[in-house]
Order: sequence, then C-alpha cells, then structure tokens
Amino acid sequence: MLSRLRSLFRALRGRRRFEQDMAAELEFHIAQYTEDLVRSGLPPAEAARRARLEFGPRNTVEENCRRSRGLRPFEELARHLRYAVRLFRKTPVFTLTALATLALCLGANLTIFAALDAIVLRPLPFPNPSRLVTIFNTYPKAGVLRDGSSIANYYERRGRIPAFSSLALYQETTAIAGLPGATAREPVTRVTPDFFLTLGRGPAIGRSFTDRELTFETDNVVILTDQYRRRYFSTPAQAIGRQIPLDGVPHTIIGVLPPDFRFLSSESRLYVPLSSSLADRGSLNRHSGGNSRQLIARLRPGATLAQAQAQVDAQNASLETQDPQAAMMAAAGFRSPIVPLHADHIASIRPTLIGLQAGALLLLLIGAVNLANLLLIRAAGRARETAVRHALGATRAHLTSEVFLETTLLTLAGSLLGIALGAAGIHLLSTLGAERLPLGAQIAFNPRLAAAGLLAALALGLVLAAPVAWFNLRAHLSAAVSSQARGGSASHAAQRLRHAFVIAQIALTLVLLSTAGLLSLSLERAAAVPPGFRPDHVLTGQLSFPGTQYRTVSTLLAFNQRLLDSLAHQPGVLAAGTATNIPLSGNSGKSAATVVGYRPRPGESPRGHYSYSTDGDYFKAMGFSLLEGRFLTAADSRANRRVCVVDQDFAQYYFPGQSALGHRLFEGSEPGPASDAFSIVGVVSSVKQASLTDPSAQGAVYYPFALRPDGAEFIAVRAALPRSSLAPALQTAVRQIDPELPVTNLRSMQQRIGSSLIPRRSPALLAALFALIALLLTAIGTYGVLSYSVLLRRGEIGVRMALGARPAQIRRHFLALSLRLLAAGAILGLAGAALANRAIRSLLFNVAPFDPFTLAAALVPIAAVAFFACLIPAHRASRISPRDVLSDS
Amino acid sequence: MPKTAELLPGTLDLLILKAVSLGPLHGYGILLRIGQISSNSLDIPQGSLYPALYRLEHQGLIAAEWGVSDNNRRAKYYSLTPAGRRRLREETAGWNRFASAIAAALNAVPGEG
Repeated sequence: MLSRLRSLFRALRGRRRFEQDMAAELEFHIAQYTEDLVRSGLPPAEAARRARLEFGPRNTVEENCRRSRGLRPFEELARHLRYAVRLFRKTPVFTLTALATLALCLGANLTIFAALDAIVLRPLPFPNPSRLVTIFNTYPKAGVLRDGSSIANYYERRGRIPAFSSLALYQETTAIAGLPGATAREPVTRVTPDFFLTLGRGPAIGRSFTDRELTFETDNVVILTDQYRRRYFSTPAQAIGRQIPLDGVPHTIIGVLPPDFRFLSSESRLYVPLSSSLADRGSLNRHSGGNSRQLIARLRPGATLAQAQAQVDAQNASLETQDPQAAMMAAAGFRSPIVPLHADHIASIRPTLIGLQAGALLLLLIGAVNLANLLLIRAAGRARETAVRHALGATRAHLTSEVFLETTLLTLAGSLLGIALGAAGIHLLSTLGAERLPLGAQIAFNPRLAAAGLLAALALGLVLAAPVAWFNLRAHLSAAVSSQARGGSASHAAQRLRHAFVIAQIALTLVLLSTAGLLSLSLERAAAVPPGFRPDHVLTGQLSFPGTQYRTVSTLLAFNQRLLDSLAHQPGVLAAGTATNIPLSGNSGKSAATVVGYRPRPGESPRGHYSYSTDGDYFKAMGFSLLEGRFLTAADSRANRRVCVVDQDFAQYYFPGQSALGHRLFEGSEPGPASDAFSIVGVVSSVKQASLTDPSAQGAVYYPFALRPDGAEFIAVRAALPRSSLAPALQTAVRQIDPELPVTNLRSMQQRIGSSLIPRRSPALLAALFALIALLLTAIGTYGVLSYSVLLRRGEIGVRMALGARPAQIRRHFLALSLRLLAAGAILGLAGAALANRAIRSLLFNVAPFDPFTLAAALVPIAAVAFFACLIPAHRASRISPRDVLSDS
Repeated sequence: MPKTAELLPGTLDLLILKAVSLGPLHGYGILLRIGQISSNSLDIPQGSLYPALYRLEHQGLIAAEWGVSDNNRRAKYYSLTPAGRRRLREETAGWNRFASAIAAALNAVPGEG
C-alpha cells in the first residue's frame, strides 16, 4: 500500500519525468523490434511500419500505462476542475451572486458559532469541568432570587457534605496595588485555600494558601497571575518571596499561576486569602451572603448533583432548627440550590446565542434555497448541452459526478470567503460588546471554526448538487436535444420545484423579519422605560477607600465634605453627591428593612429592597423627582439625623393609599430599639437598579451616609452642559485630597443606560442584519425565478401576443404569479413566525410573542421585494415581440 | 509459424514475474524471454506488456532501473523485488493446482463418477 502511494506520489511529482521516461521506454522497444525485423530480412522502412503496427496504438498504450500508475483519477479531477472553473467564469453574474450568498450566509453562521462555541460549547479549562458546581442562597418570596453564599455557609458545609470532594468560597473585589507612585486599582479575587484544589488547577510555582492565612492578622500573602507577574519580575521564580503592597499593606508573593489560568470571566490579576473573623463565620451571619461571595464545589467521583442537593437541603433543615430567624427564612422560601458552574455562568446569554445561531442557520437555509434555485435555472439553461454530451457518450455517472464536483467547488470557494467574513464578523461582535459577555473574552478565530466552515461547505455542496443531478437525470428522459428546452415533464417538475423554493424563501425571510422586528420593538420599549432619574449630563465614578487610612466614619465624612465642596466650586457643576450604589452599576444586591407597625399579610415574607447611603446632593445630581417631603442632604449626615427617603414603589407597597411621610423603619430584618429607627422624610421616583427591564417593583431606601457608612462609594456630578473636561476635573478634585486614591469606573449615566441595553441591542442589531441579508437573497431568488420563467415561456407569450393578447394582460399574468408565490410564502411564514417567536419569548420585553403589528410590518418589505422583483421580468415579458419569437423558432 | 494460444486473463502478470525472476530485463527482453520459455506458443500483444509492467511496478512486485542495453542504448531494466518473488511463488502454486484440477476434470472418463 505504502509503495503504491509512493509510486503514485513520484509519478505525480515528476509528471514530466514520468512522461519522458515512458516515451523513451516505448521508443526503445519499437527500435529494438525494428532492428530484429531488419535482421530477419525485412527492408528498414517496412520493418519500422510493421513494428509500429504490431505495437498497437501508441496513445492507448500510454493512457493504459498512466492508468496503471493510478494517475487517471487525478487527471480527470484536474480536467473537471478546469472545466468547472471555465464555466463559472463564463457566467460571472451567477458566480458572483452564488459566492456572495455563500460568503454572507457562512460568514454569519461562523461569527455566531464562534461565540456559541467559546461560551456554550467549549468546556471550562479545568480538569473534569462538568463536576464543578456552584451553590447560592435564594429567598424567592422576599424578592431575592439570588444572594450568593455567606462565610458561615462555607464553614458549615466544608467537609460536611459527602457528595463534595472539595468546596471553596471566593469574592471578586478590587485593591490598590503596585509600588508607591505607580499604584492602580486592580481586580482582585479573595479565595479560601481550597479554591485552586476545587478547580483542579493551582499555582505553577509556589504554593496555595493555608487555613492559617484566613485571619486578618495572617492574610498578608498573595498569589499572582502570570500576566501581573510579568510587570515586575522576569521569571515566576523571581517573584516568590518578594513583597508587593496591596491597599498600602505589604503582601508576600507565595505563588504564581500558569499563564493560561482564568477563572470563568474573572479579570483578577491577584488572588488573596478570603480572611474572616470568628463572628463572620458564626450562624448569625448565615444569611449575609450579599451576592459578592460565591461558593463553588467539586462533586466527588460517583456522586450526583441530586445527592449533593439532598445533603445540603438536609443540613440547611437541621441548622435552621436552632436558628432564631428560621421562621422568617422559611417564609421567604429560603433554599440553597446547586447548579453546574459552567451552565450557571452563561445562563443569561445562552438563549440569546442559541436564538442567534438559529437565526443564522435560517439565513443559511434561505441562501441554500436561493442557490439551489439558481443552480437549477443554470442547469435548465444547459439542458441542451448536457443532452448533447450525453448523446456523445458521457455517462450519467460522469455527468452526475461532474455536477457534484462543480457545486462543491463553488461552495468551497464560497466558504473560503465566508471564513474570511467570519473572522471579520468576530471583530464586529467585539464592537457589539461580546467581550463583556460571560466567557466572551474567549471568542476568537481558530482552526476549529475554519474546519467547521469547510465541513459545512462540503455538506452544502452535496445537498445543493442533489436537485441539479436529479434535474439532469430527468432531463435525459425527455430528449432535450430535439425538443425545445421548454415542455416535457422534467421542466414542469423543475418549475414547480423552483416555485416551491421561492415560497420557502419568502416564508423563512418572514420568520427572520418578524423576529428581528420583535427584538427591536423590545429594545425600543426597554429603552423607553423611565429609569426614575434624568440621565442626561450626569457623570459618575467610583471610589474605594483603603481601610488602612479610612478606618473611621469621621475620616470618610471629612473626605466626602472636602470633595463635595471642591466639586461645587467647579464651573458648570449644578449638583454633586455620593451614594454607596447607583442605578445600573451592575450591583443589584438587596437588603431588608422593617417598617414599624406594618403587619405582614398571612404568607407574606419580609422583602429585600435596594439600599443606598447618600451624602451631599445625590438626588439633585441624579435628577430624581421628589414626590413628597424632602431629599436627604449633606446636613443629614453631618447632624447624624435618623431620617431616610424611600421610593414610590416602597411607599405604595407598605403604605398604599396614604402618605409615607412620618412612618418609621429599621434597617435589617429585625426591629431594634426605638432610637435606631429612621423616619421617612421624603418619597422619590422609583428607581430601576438592575436594568431598565427589572421585572418587579423592588422598592428602595436611602439612608444618610454617616449612619450607614461603607468603604466604597460612587460620586455623581450633574453639569449644566455635557463637558468632556468634567472627568479629569473630578479626578483632579479627588487627587487633591488623596493623591493615592484613584477614581475608577468613570462613566456618564447615559453610557451606563446604553451599556445596560447592549444585551438587547446587539442581538436586535444582528437579527436585523440577518433579516436584511435574507430580504436581499429573497429578492435575488424571486427575480431569478421569474425572469427565467419569462425566458422559458417566450414562445408561448409570443404566440399569445400574436393572437391579440395585450402587454398589460401579460404583465398581469406575471404579477399574479408573483402574488401567488407571495401569498403562499406569507401563510407559511406567519405560521413559522408564530413558532419562532414563541421560542424566543424569554428575550422579549413588553411585547407579546404573537404581535400582529410586527407581523404586518414584517410583511411590508417582503411584499415590496416580491412586487419589485417581478416588475422587471413582467415588463420584459410584455415587451416580447411576436415576430422575433416566431422567427427564432 | 507455430500455433499460438490466447492468453488467459491474469496470466501475463505471472509470465512477466517468471521472466524477470531469471535476471533483470528490459521490456523488449521480457517479451523475448516469455517467447523463449514458452517456446513461442503464447500470443502476447506488445501493447499490453507495458501497462502490465507499470502496474506491477506500482504494486511493488518489480523494480525498475535505467541501464544500458547490449547495443549501448539507454533502456529501463526490470527486476523482481522480494514481494514479487513471494507473489510468484504463490501464483505458481495456485496455477499448478488450478491446471491439474482442470486437467483431471477434462481427463475424466465416463462411468468413473
């Protein structure tokens, strides 16, 4: 076998050499024979003649020799390919249309597939990634669907859930890192020692954390990612044992992670121990997860998710028996669900990606139908040529294999363009915000995609060739040589098939159009939701105070006062304030509030509310409207007044039909001493915290910063005009007070609203793009089929005109045909749209899946396309001159 | 001219292998050698020799090398490879079995069966 391949390879490589050798060898044979014949007495001329005659036809012998060396199939392939390329070059419009269709459809699919593959299909980069799970706490009846896990949860479960081989807690945060003068706020992950053990990958050099490093006194150790290590040390080994300041405290480097280590979508450059106090670990803090800390675990080999869930449920139940808050937690529907880590991480984006891939496949289907139609028309145009070649001895197998070869050549060429387009599409995805998707940074062009593209092209080539091959075989039955191309059962069947393809195309395009319409309508309705404040001309930024310098409330208050004073004196600044959280910040954690005198209805559980601590003129800066009473101001914080402001949702929930002013509430889920209660002094417009499409009215409470301080806050500044110099001015104002304190996350509120809509805008844009391409393809397809049908029926039309038919009648005939195709396509398409739109229900906002307005609107462009695509052919038909037609035949 | 027999399909390969097993030969020499060892009783169309040679070379049963003929011309010489020698042995045995079976069948006398 190997020797055969080698000999074939030699023959192919040294093709010229092979031919020369063969000629020399045969020549030698004939010369020798001639000599022998001369020696036996024949005259030389007669001897040469005899020798050649007996040798046989030289060409046939040579051809047989080549075949013996396995060269034949390659020669034929090359000849077929040359022939196909020549044909394609003869019909440039067809070829370019086909290539563009293939490139667009495959490019769109590859682009979406790149995202789907990186995010959904590829497993996480850890050993046995399917065994990784995450556990969170949920209090659905309190409106808190997800609340992370608490430190107490970790210590209570560690080693006590047999289905877990290990369990770890982590918390994404930030810290000021770097040497003095070159400090920057870096994303940091705080982890328990078993974090790397659970993932199955840890430091490439050095060690992981130990349990002893989990207290505040001993936690000054750090593990670097390889990217961060490169900044300061040329090799990982050099970093070990060195120190790096984090929030002003020197930390010893004990390990460096491998270069390709990345935990989910984490941007963290440094890992530090998740230290805690004994109080944090106690049962009183069991329910203070607060969404910033997450629990991950690895299932023990053989253990199932259901077993783990049962064990966690049983432990929760037994712990709750000793918990004074048990009744309240039960009322809130407390549970700790366990879900696969990968699936959980990408849950928000998965339906969108699958929907988009389905849309792209639909586009491919439309493109394929279009190509099939164009190829059929082309085959019909060549029916006579095919029939002649058949008559001249080309076998059916030969003609059929030629069709397959030709079509595959076309799809492969198209796929190369499509792959290039896909690579460009991946760049488009990143401008549409794909990198911010979970695992989105992994989206990249890779050989897997190219291979997928080529495979798809091969499959498509085979599928597209089938109808053409079928047509050719049928066409032979009716002797196309003698008859006109028109007539015969084959061309009728082919015509029906072409019409069916146009109908399918119209239907599929309608599905895409209506889906794109619903997504844009959802986007429009989401963007129109009032956020509760006026987002124009508001700049926001984030500050995180290092605990070392800002240990007391008074230092924090003093900082705020200086900053707000300084900002108030900036030209053009209308108002400035601070708050511990701002709308659409990405943090939508909730906490409980207890309203004095409020009696829960039976079965009603305490609710979580968005809670903010504000200083300065936060409400004015953000542009909240005041509905009742007054705003909180800097004076409330300075005077330690126990007052608060609530939003309209909160007021309506607890005090329906009456004024909220004067009512009192406690922070947290328990009433405290009367002196700790806050009096409601104002009601402001309801806020959209998580997103503009927040499903429920959660309610919000605003406290004075002094009474509920925090180590991190946002600054909000409202300017009279949009000013690009405002951001540097804000940074300068902060640096004048504390040169080592960076302002991060600097964005206007309008930008925040804009990016909060990206998950809706990008899919809507892509769907619209797909629908547009589909519309274009349908226009080409309908036009092609109708023009061809005019061409086919030239003779008939000529005769009809000769018999007195008026051009308008002919035109009407073709318009009617176009309308019939449109009507059939529309009916099928509406049914398809109803199904498809039901499937994407979860992506819609304030739009019914079956929206008659959208469907009607989707019909308009498709009807226009069908109408205009038929205008030119119909016009051309009406201009056919009977004389030309009759003289033709 | 002696009476010649038509070649049975597949026997040309066997004859070529036999011919070159006696020493390297060029194509024309193989033709002569077959004539010699079969006492010129087989009719071999000259044109069918070379495709057979190329096929056998392609299968690795014979090897080719350019050399110089008796009358000082460049000629391509074929020789048997070990695989060819093995094949020749097997085919010869197979042929003999076949031939004796056919002979026995044709020599059968009525009444013996």
